[in-house]
Amino acid sequence: MSKDDIHVLQDRSAGFVTRLFAFVIDLAVTAGILAVGGAIATLVDNAIALMGLDPRIDMTVIYFWMIPVIIGAYYTMFWSLTGRTIGKWFMGLKIIGVDGRPPTIARALLRFLGYGISTVAFWMGFAWVVIDDERQGWHDHIARTWVVYDYARRKPGEIYDDFLHRADVSG
Amino acid sequence: MGAGRPTLYRGGLATAVASISTTVYWQPSVWSPSGRRYCPAMTSDVGSDSDNPPSPDAAHKTIVRLVAGGIGEGFDRLMKLSNALEDSDTDPASTQIAPIHADPRLMAILGWFSELPAQTRAISATTSRALYPVTRVAGVAWDTGAYVARAIGIAAFLEGLTEPLLTAIAEERDRLASVGTAEYARGRVLAVQAFEQSVDGIMGYIGDSDELGELVREQTLGITGSAVREIRETGAAADGLAEGIFRRLLGRDQRAIPPKPVGEEV
Repeated sequence: MSKDDIHVLQDRSAGFVTRLFAFVIDLAVTAGILAVGGAIATLVDNAIALMGLDPRIDMTVIYFWMIPVIIGAYYTMFWSLTGRTIGKWFMGLKIIGVDGRPPTIARALLRFLGYGISTVAFWMGFAWVVIDDERQGWHDHIARTWVVYDYARRKPGEIYDDFLHRADVSG
Repeated sequence: MGAGRPTLYRGGLATAVASISTTVYWQPSVWSPSGRRYCPAMTSDVGSDSDNPPSPDAAHKTIVRLVAGGIGEGFDRLMKLSNALEDSDTDPASTQIAPIHADPRLMAILGWFSELPAQTRAISATTSRALYPVTRVAGVAWDTGAYVARAIGIAAFLEGLTEPLLTAIAEERDRLASVGTAEYARGRVLAVQAFEQSVDGIMGYIGDSDELGELVREQTLGITGSAVREIRETGAAADGLAEGIFRRLLGRDQRAIPPKPVGEEV
């Protein structure tokens, strides 16, 4: 596969390296979001202490338990609404279901749970992409989703047209 | 008569003819009634002979005819008359010669004109000889005067007069130079300001211009898009490479292009 044949990749399953790059970008984005959220939680905690409110309320602890929720919200919302996270958008990828459309919220949640399984298994669920016939990870098999190349829709206008097309199809 | 005389005669011809004509016309009495005093043996050139000297009217007509005959012809006739006059002067015995039949005053005028260059040269030579000691004396006097002026302090006095003038000139020069320097510095400041204003104007124009703004955005997106496209294509190539390696390790068939998702038609 050479770079000259890149035009034939449209709507074909993406490989491990590209998805890894996209995942790293998403990790950086989620890390930034969590850092901002942690700073806000610390400020709120300090404000509670200064105002003399109930000291048993520890916002940092609450925020720590909210981290999976925040991360899950980030992925599921992006997957279900646009079919791509920021990292996947940057790498020209999108997630589709069996109908070729972005997954629903339920299917996106299922896929996020699959992320957890793939992670717990020493990241083997992610590495499975490189040997899978359809380039699917464990989370993709669980949620019946595919990550495909989406090079054709690079321009903002075309992305907008894609939104209109999907709205028309769904309507 | 020398060779240069014809030219001289041409120059004096008009004056001579005018003088003679005026004399003849206004003072016919200068011609003696008999005409013998001046022309004791008049020829037929004036329409008479020695026994019948020409009348003033006849002489007038003769002169007019000479002039009317053309400058060249009149000149030749006058030359002949002049030669005859000279011959009569050098030969006392020929004072009564018959061919003389022109006014001696005309001849005198012509002679004066003919001698004019020689006279001029003589006067010039005399003047030069006279002026030579004068110029020497004047040079010595000038040097002496300058020496005396320096000796008695006139030069210093004049320098005292010119020193304020030179000082004023130098001050004016310095003032103009300072004005020029200030104008130069001011011009540079204005140039910088004009440049900044121009840049602001250009940037404002670019900012206000929808077409230019769109062009800049397209260029920016184009550059960014090229970089992103390069990253994506490199990633896709790496995908195929990594998959090929693992599939070879697992003993699976190599595939040229990635698979399409299985499910409903995408």
